Amino acid sequence: MKCKKCGGKASVNMRQHKLALCKEHYLEWIPEQTERFIKKYHMFTRDEKILVAVSGGKDSLALWDILTRLGYEADGLYLGLGIDGGIEYSHESQRLSQKFADEHNLKLHVMDVEGEYGYSIPVLSEISHRGHGKPCAVCGLAKRHEMNRIARDLGYDVLATGHNLDDEAAVLFGNTLNWSSEYLLRQGPVLPAADGLVRKVKPLCRFYEREMTAYALARGIEYMYEECPFAEGSQQIFYKETLNQLESVRPGAKLTFYIKFLEAKQRGDLFIETNIERAHLHPCSRCGQPTSAPELCSFCRMIEKAKVTTG
Amino acid sequence: MPVKLILRNKEYEVKAGMTLLDALKKSNIVPESVIATRDGEMITEDEILKDGEVIKLIAVISGGLG
Repeated sequence: MKCKKCGGKASVNMRQHKLALCKEHYLEWIPEQTERFIKKYHMFTRDEKILVAVSGGKDSLALWDILTRLGYEADGLYLGLGIDGGIEYSHESQRLSQKFADEHNLKLHVMDVEGEYGYSIPVLSEISHRGHGKPCAVCGLAKRHEMNRIARDLGYDVLATGHNLDDEAAVLFGNTLNWSSEYLLRQGPVLPAADGLVRKVKPLCRFYEREMTAYALARGIEYMYEECPFAEGSQQIFYKETLNQLESVRPGAKLTFYIKFLEAKQRGDLFIETNIERAHLHPCSRCGQPTSAPELCSFCRMIEKAKVTTG
Repeated sequence: MPVKLILRNKEYEVKAGMTLLDALKKSNIVPESVIATRDGEMITEDEILKDGEVIKLIAVISGGLG
């Protein structure tokens, strides 16, 4: 297979785009496309301060790399979750994030959940009885809460996450299976800033997970290859595998699923009117971040419960 | 000599002379879920596999909530 740009030997073939590229042109193409998505969805400008949520995985490190190559002012934020799983998962993830920051002379903020609140994510999950024996729900809640808090406290204009198209398509698939209209209403490449909420953006949301892996490999980025010890058997992975089966038979199926959803949403085709009222948020009485609950937000309730349980 | 495909801790053996795409399908590996490398360089699915070589497959799916 030949590179469409130079005719040399191709390294990556993207069947959904009918596009094969050599390593050199692939490494040019990804930032070009990222810039296009940043502008298309009005994510941020070059004057704004960006905080990149960095996990040590391929997507977040690739995002940080791309934004830096494009000349954006982007610092990193690593959240220590206290996950060991016999492979020192969090420790190794932090090491790789710090290594990337040091090698590229970038600023990485590090916040340890246990240091801040007294409980690691697995312990918090056990105490709070959330998530049916798995800490993934608590982990997601804590990450969303803390990333937003820190981005606001440190004065960043926007929080960027490394969600790729497979992440977005899997979430969309799950929400569609359940017709979770409120979640469908909120899903998109940009979650605008609101009272208590910093703007959140997903610049990689139109790249396949496979493309981000190829980018990380081609750039020589050392990333956390090992799976989170708690991810095995997760619903999100099952949805991704299911969508990949479909993609193998119908190249472009994942991309079409996501893009057509965004277009339908923008046109107002997705039963939006009745949901706007229900999606109303107000400030948590403790931390001030938006919540749909009557008083305390889910995160503060969880911490409160943990304190009561442990005395 | 057969061709060896390695994915995480698993090994698969296929005949030389077939394409990477056919080798993946024969091994029940969804092509979308991996990147194949030969001597550290990425290769595309039309590549013909050679006698006795080892192809390392990189899993692309990661879990969790991002």
